[in-house]
Amino acid sequence: MAERVFAGKLERAGFHNVWMGGHRPFGIDEATLYPLFTPEVISEMRRTIPSDHQDHVATGVIVKARKPG
Amino acid sequence: MYQDEIKEAVRNAYSGISTGGGHPVARRFYSESELAEIPEGSIEWALGVGNPVRYAFLQPGETVLDVGSGGGIDTILAARRVGPLGTAIGLDIVDEMRARGRRHAAAAGVSGWTEFLRGEMEAIPLPDGSVDVVISNGVLNLSARKSRALAEIFRVLRPGGRICLADLTVEGELPPEVANDQSAWSG
Repeated sequence: MAERVFAGKLERAGFHNVWMGGHRPFGIDEATLYPLFTPEVISEMRRTIPSDHQDHVATGVIVKARKPG
Repeated sequence: MYQDEIKEAVRNAYSGISTGGGHPVARRFYSESELAEIPEGSIEWALGVGNPVRYAFLQPGETVLDVGSGGGIDTILAARRVGPLGTAIGLDIVDEMRARGRRHAAAAGVSGWTEFLRGEMEAIPLPDGSVDVVISNGVLNLSARKSRALAEIFRVLRPGGRICLADLTVEGELPPEVANDQSAWSG
C-alpha cells in the first residue's frame, strides 16, 4: 500500500490530523532478518527486483492520527 | 489471492514459525534502555517494523490496544508506560502468539494490567469508544481488508483517541512473482 493510499484510507475512516514520519528504507537484506520471508521469496526478490531498488523495496513509516473528539 | 486465502496464509505463517527476528530485528528499532524493559523471550519474537510506543506518548492510566500483538514486545512496553492504573490489551488471531504474549507479560511483571484477546483486526472484540490509544507494528499491511480494519480501530477508540502505527508502505508495483507469493504477504 502506498503512503498516499494509506493516508486516504485513514481520512475516509474518519481520522483527523494524519501524520506520517520516521521514514526508514526496508530492503531485501532487512527482509532476510524475518523468518516470515522464506528463502524462496527472498531469492525471487533478488532475481526480479532491479538491483538499484533492492535496498529500498518498501519504507517503514510511523503513522499517527486522531479520532475527532 | 482472495481475502480468505490471505488471512489463512498469514495465520499459517505466524503459527508455523519457530522464532521471531530476535536481537537483529529488535536492535533496529529499540534502544538498549527499551530492550532492558522487555523479557528476552519477547525480544526473540520481535517481528515489527518500527517502534510505535516511542511515538505514542502514552500516559499513566490510559487504555492501549496493540493490534497484532505477537510475542508482546510493544504490549509490554505500553503496559510499562500506562502503569497499573491503565490497561494494555494485546489482540492477535494466533493462539501461539497470545500464549507467548501472556508468558512474556508475566515475566515482565505487568500481567496485572495486561490482557491478550483472541480476535481479528477486522472485527475487534471490544466495545465502541473503549480505548484511548491504538498501536500496531507491521500488522495493518497483512490485512486484505485494510479499510475495514481501520474502521474497527476508529470504532473502538474513544472520541479524541489516537493511533500510532508502524508499518511498511510500497510505492509502485512489486514484481508479480513477489506480490503473489504467500510468504511476501505474510512478511
